[in-house]
Amino acid sequence: MPNIHGKAYAMNTISPMKPWKTYILRFLFFFWRHYKPLGDGLVGLSFIHFARWVIVPRYAFPRLSEQQPKNDLQYDYLLFFSNFNGTWNQYIDAFSAVLFEGLNLIWRWSEKFPGSRPVTPFKNFIVRGQVETDYYYTAYPHAATNDVKAAHRVQLAFDDFERQSSGMPPAKFAEAYQQFLVKIQSDLGETGEAPVGT
Amino acid sequence: MSNQSGSIYGLTIISPIKDEPHLEISHSLAIRMYLQHLHTILKDGEGPFFKVNSTHMARLVVLDDVVYFGMPSCEEHLQSKYLIFESNFDGELDTYLSRLARDAKEEVHNIWQHCIGYPGVENTDAFISYMKRCQVETTFYFADVNDKSVQQTLRALQTQSAVASFIEKNQGMPPNELQNAFVDFSKRLRNAPPPKPGSTKGKELTDKVL
Repeated sequence: MPNIHGKAYAMNTISPMKPWKTYILRFLFFFWRHYKPLGDGLVGLSFIHFARWVIVPRYAFPRLSEQQPKNDLQYDYLLFFSNFNGTWNQYIDAFSAVLFEGLNLIWRWSEKFPGSRPVTPFKNFIVRGQVETDYYYTAYPHAATNDVKAAHRVQLAFDDFERQSSGMPPAKFAEAYQQFLVKIQSDLGETGEAPVGT
Repeated sequence: MSNQSGSIYGLTIISPIKDEPHLEISHSLAIRMYLQHLHTILKDGEGPFFKVNSTHMARLVVLDDVVYFGMPSCEEHLQSKYLIFESNFDGELDTYLSRLARDAKEEVHNIWQHCIGYPGVENTDAFISYMKRCQVETTFYFADVNDKSVQQTLRALQTQSAVASFIEKNQGMPPNELQNAFVDFSKRLRNAPPPKPGSTKGKELTDKVL
């Protein structure tokens, strides 16, 4: 399926916004970027590799030649792209359950947004605005977001242990090895093929 | 810059697709057919972005039109179809685009030849300039791990998998034998070839290497 590569799912949505409302959303994104990172909430979810929101003003869809017909749009458009692990339903459910306030602040400026709770009208809204991916690639499809973070912790601990244990007497090495195992034991989950979901 | 998070760049490109109504197969359909073809002919993740190995994740989407959500909003339509290219990569934009033109030129050409104003890939500067004309600014960008390159992440995943195997295989070993085994293991791990980007095979590849 072009929307899926290994454990990663590519979601794209598009929704129209009245142009005056996009100024408010731009301000909110600016605020979150500088003062209260929306990213903290997304990191907390721990199943999104990368996500982005892009506001395309009604005059900003590229026009590269005089022969290309001009768009005559009344709305600006909010594009959302996400790379997440798990199924579409799990993703939307988690968004609705955990980040509903943030989501409402982002999408309430879009036409006909029903709110992120209750979840059924929210899912209908997402489905309506979703655009299918035609080609999707990830460099580490066998790893979920938590696998990536755990692997970097293991790498750091391994490098430290390797450096510190060099030249140790065997008994002391065995002791340090036990401490190394304790440190990384919760980060050794196995990666590989993704489970089949809906 | 809103296009970047840490050392990761979030690129969004929207290229208008040619419209020639007399063609039997429209340009947008030709792009979709080629992308489908890439899925079916390529082995285990190999493809244009595998060749440009600073790519963490990327997608291509044909946008036929905007979406109408119903009354009381107004129904409106785009006058062109667009190819959306979304990529998350390490490093600078110019370097990345020049690598696309150089290392994945066949695929890039087969895709973007259907887009208005595409200058080809032979002249890298012209290609970069064209892609930048189609670039739209990312308004808010999030990267969960934003300070590690693709190679660092692949290497870390390899280490994680190999260390788990080592621990499993060497349980209960006397200290001197354990130490010798570990020294040997860490040497082999350091010298192991880097994992292949885009492969869906995780642990089994590492086991083969080690």
